[in-house]
Amino acid sequence: MKDFRELETEIKKASDKFTNIESINEFRIKFLGKKGIISLEMKELASLSGDEIIASKTEELNSEELEKKLNSETLDITLSTSKSYGTIHPISQVIEEVITIFGDLDFFVAEGPEVETDYNNFTALNTSEHHPARQMHDTFYVETETDGMPNVLRTHTSPVQIRSMLKQKPPIRLIAPGKTFRCDNDQTHSPMFHQVEGLVIDQESNMSHLKGCLEIFLKTFFETDKLNMRFRPSHFPFTEPSAEVDIGYTKKGNQLIIGEGEDWLEILGCGMVHPNVLENVNINSNEYQGYAFGMGIERLAMLKYGISDLRTFFDSDLRWNKHYGFSPLNIPSIIGDLS
Amino acid sequence: MKFSYSWLTEHLKTNVHFEEIEKKLTSIGLEVEDIQDTGKAYQDFIVGQVLEEKKHPNADKLKLCKVDIGKEKVDVVCGAPNVEKGMKVVYAPVGSTIPVNQMKIKAAKIRGVESYGMMCSEYELGISNEHDGIIRLEEKETIGRPFSEIYGLNDIVIEIGITPNRQDCLGVKGIARDLASAGMGELLERKISKEKGSFKSPIKIEIQDNKICSAFAGRYFRNVKNTESPEWLKNKLKSIGLRPISALVDITNFVMYDENRPLHVYDADKINGKIIVRAANDGESFQALDEKDYHLKNGMCVIADEKKVLGLGGIMGGESTGCSTETKNVLLESALFDEINTAKTGRNLSILSDARYRFERGIDPNSTLKGIDLATQLILEICGGECSEVELAGNIKENKNEVSTSSSYISRRLGFEVSDKELISILSSLGIETSQTGDVIKCSIPSWRQDIHGEADISEEVIRIKGYENIPTSNIRLKSKINKNILNYAQKKLMKARHFIASIEYDELVTFSFTDSKNCEVFGDINNLKIVNPISEELDILRPNLLPNLLQAIKKNKNRNFDSFSIFEIGSQYRSTSPEDQLNVACGIKSGIKTEKSWKNMQTEFDIYDVKQDLTSLIDYLMPGNKKISVSNDCPSWYHPGRSGSIKINNSVIAGYFGELHPRVANQFKIKNKINIFELYLDELPNIEKKTTNKPVLNLSDFQIVTRDFAFVIDKKVKSEEVVTSAFKVDKELIRNVEIFDLFEDDSLGKDKKSIAIKVTLQSNEKTLADNDISEISSKIIESVEKSTSGTVRS
Repeated sequence: MKDFRELETEIKKASDKFTNIESINEFRIKFLGKKGIISLEMKELASLSGDEIIASKTEELNSEELEKKLNSETLDITLSTSKSYGTIHPISQVIEEVITIFGDLDFFVAEGPEVETDYNNFTALNTSEHHPARQMHDTFYVETETDGMPNVLRTHTSPVQIRSMLKQKPPIRLIAPGKTFRCDNDQTHSPMFHQVEGLVIDQESNMSHLKGCLEIFLKTFFETDKLNMRFRPSHFPFTEPSAEVDIGYTKKGNQLIIGEGEDWLEILGCGMVHPNVLENVNINSNEYQGYAFGMGIERLAMLKYGISDLRTFFDSDLRWNKHYGFSPLNIPSIIGDLS
Repeated sequence: MKFSYSWLTEHLKTNVHFEEIEKKLTSIGLEVEDIQDTGKAYQDFIVGQVLEEKKHPNADKLKLCKVDIGKEKVDVVCGAPNVEKGMKVVYAPVGSTIPVNQMKIKAAKIRGVESYGMMCSEYELGISNEHDGIIRLEEKETIGRPFSEIYGLNDIVIEIGITPNRQDCLGVKGIARDLASAGMGELLERKISKEKGSFKSPIKIEIQDNKICSAFAGRYFRNVKNTESPEWLKNKLKSIGLRPISALVDITNFVMYDENRPLHVYDADKINGKIIVRAANDGESFQALDEKDYHLKNGMCVIADEKKVLGLGGIMGGESTGCSTETKNVLLESALFDEINTAKTGRNLSILSDARYRFERGIDPNSTLKGIDLATQLILEICGGECSEVELAGNIKENKNEVSTSSSYISRRLGFEVSDKELISILSSLGIETSQTGDVIKCSIPSWRQDIHGEADISEEVIRIKGYENIPTSNIRLKSKINKNILNYAQKKLMKARHFIASIEYDELVTFSFTDSKNCEVFGDINNLKIVNPISEELDILRPNLLPNLLQAIKKNKNRNFDSFSIFEIGSQYRSTSPEDQLNVACGIKSGIKTEKSWKNMQTEFDIYDVKQDLTSLIDYLMPGNKKISVSNDCPSWYHPGRSGSIKINNSVIAGYFGELHPRVANQFKIKNKINIFELYLDELPNIEKKTTNKPVLNLSDFQIVTRDFAFVIDKKVKSEEVVTSAFKVDKELIRNVEIFDLFEDDSLGKDKKSIAIKVTLQSNEKTLADNDISEISSKIIESVEKSTSGTVRS
């Protein structure tokens, strides 16, 4: 940059030399033109500022200060506070798993009340008043009546079949999880327990579909590709043929390995819906057929999650609930833990 | 049903290995529940004889014995009071295992004297409870003979579960028949001689009601000797856990377990006149063989003579005509009693008997006379005497079922092709005769299979014999959906509630649907919740509310050192015991310490505001979008009247409550802590059927947000909510939020006054609010609040 006094002198000198218009023009071009000395100097002057210096100095000082501050701000990261979630009861968890698996196979969830009519719980299910199978049920009775018969606490979830079939015509695919009751209380029985019922009615579903259905379910539920499954004849008044299903297992130490092995565990009862049941709900048994199955939720939970005692489910021991309960965020799904 | 392998082979000629028979039993529906190889368990025990018996030098109650066991003579120290010289005993050698306690016998010094082996009582061998002395065998027993042979224990005892439909397998013969059908061997027919009888029975039989008893065959025996049964018979009964009584009784039991044919024997000399089979009259009573008195009701089937009731038909005989060793003349009964009547009577009187068990499942009518023949043969053989002709009252109807089916029906049901040929062959192996016309196969069901009524039953027979393992597996996935929704809104609501509540620290419990009526008076009318036959007095009603069981759980957990907890349950409570009176409720409880005192926090305790917030945010979660939640003081009697509120949504019915448990109820459950509760009646939340997956349109304002604080002095009684709503209503567009940020009570404010400070958030959709806009609305807010709360603004 030029010294302004020098420039002033230079301009004076040059102006002193003005002799003609031409020289004035020369002067104008030299000093005042677009690319004249003054113009250039002005530009240079405009670009001249302290911002840069200030900015760089400020940053330097700021970061020094921050450094100091950070050094004084250390926290003991080994200290902690706690945030806890509650837990979902294993019964709820297993019911949701069962719903998720059958939902994927296009079963909807049906419901019925826990107090049932004798007709829905027994008679409509082809179990007449004096059928010996009734004695195996150890029924709880209540004081209200329907059509002259005392109402009962449902002994199984099967009456939901009746309620649903009266409401809906085939094709039907449903499951019905819920509470069930039997007048029985010992090491291996609880007066209240949970079942899930399944029902499929259409024109062709047969024993081989029943087998296929249960195989997918059990494999998905127990999260195993290997599954030894055994059907053996049994008797339920509302199915014919009837079967009980066992799955193979082995024991490794205290752990049950489901699916493999030659030892058998009874897991559920099932069969082809008895034509009398279909006729009782006004479905033509010559045109329609299908299968039904029922299984104990607690048993599924015990086998899958290694819970050894049935009665602990209802004991409300918070130590048990916190141990065997599930995170509320662990909703059975592809994202959740159900593979 | 228990039977022994040797008994089975009396009916089944087989060369199939036992393990295969065992598997087959289960696979044809006769599930093997237990197998005991008694031969193995008793293989070491043999007959010995006590040669010498003298006192133990060091113990008064012990004896030193020398026992001859055949190949050698051993010293045994024995404590039994009945041991004596010459006695034949059961000897357990060193190395054997005592069945009752699985103790292994070792050579040992007992009080200084060597002892080799042990002499056993029936108790020690697990045969009976007799433990007063060691077994005294008959003198004729050979030394060294395996003990199991003498007691008939050299066998395998099988226990199978019989489903209610398979009455035909309640006898060993029926099991053999089913195994033969399944290819396990050949069914043997027992040779039974048919005695004609040498005289007419002096006891006539009259059936007055043939609905409850369709046939009654009787045979009179004279000059019999009711001795002890022979060894083979006693052992047979013992092997399946029955106690031998006397020859006549043992014979009837044998026929029942062999042929599934219940019989009864009467001491004929104790019968007055003829036998009358009739319905009982109200008020009649009799003493049964179990020595209990039973009071009979109209319609029960009784066997009577001309004076009194002798027995309950098909269920149990009476004490008065029971047979003893003195019995000389007997009447043998083989009858057909009605299934339903038998079941009803048995249930009514709570009598469980082998006969009832069989008659209520249905008895093969053809066994009526066969049973008489088999029993006659055994009675004459064992007890001697002479038999009369058979006296038969009523009709033995064969009621043979006829069922028509086709291989296409069977195939359609089972899911694989079954040909006519295969079908007919399986049916004929079961004794089902068939005749074919075109596609229709007509089946004639044998009399012993009372359970086969229709085509579906035939399909079960086919797959049972063919084997369930032969059912193929088919895919059930569908090409198109048949159900619109897997879960409906109400169902999802329950599950969402469960996860939400658990996510705010509550642990889920599942408690019984029944509870103790004594704890429940406060929860409303419990008279219509009674269970007729409760499992215990403490579980005698359906729960009118979820709280009683949750409070019980709290009490239990306090004993387990849980003082602070958050628990919840979602389940049903009941208004009555009618099916439709069931409500879905979510109930949560928080009690005790909310935040522990720590390096970071002060200790805080749960209070009703925690459960109120949980309840309202739960409602918000389940019912997103605009709604009006209003709170009022009208809570049910289990809440603290001053510290509880009910919640209404959109001014309709009450959806829930929150508050502190009433101290009186807490006291009743012996709970000392403050219990903060919320209840949400899930059915009262409207079910929102989604019409669109789109969310509502979002309108955002970019103009500046302004907040202004106001404080008011108002009466204590005035609810703070009044301040909020009266401020809010001034301008619903401009006022975005009103929030209470301070609350205090002080005498300086005046008597019974409180100060409430609110922060009001203002924002316009159209412009930045100017000072005059803000002061205008501020004065309106002050005016509105003052007016509706009768309070004054603090400046």
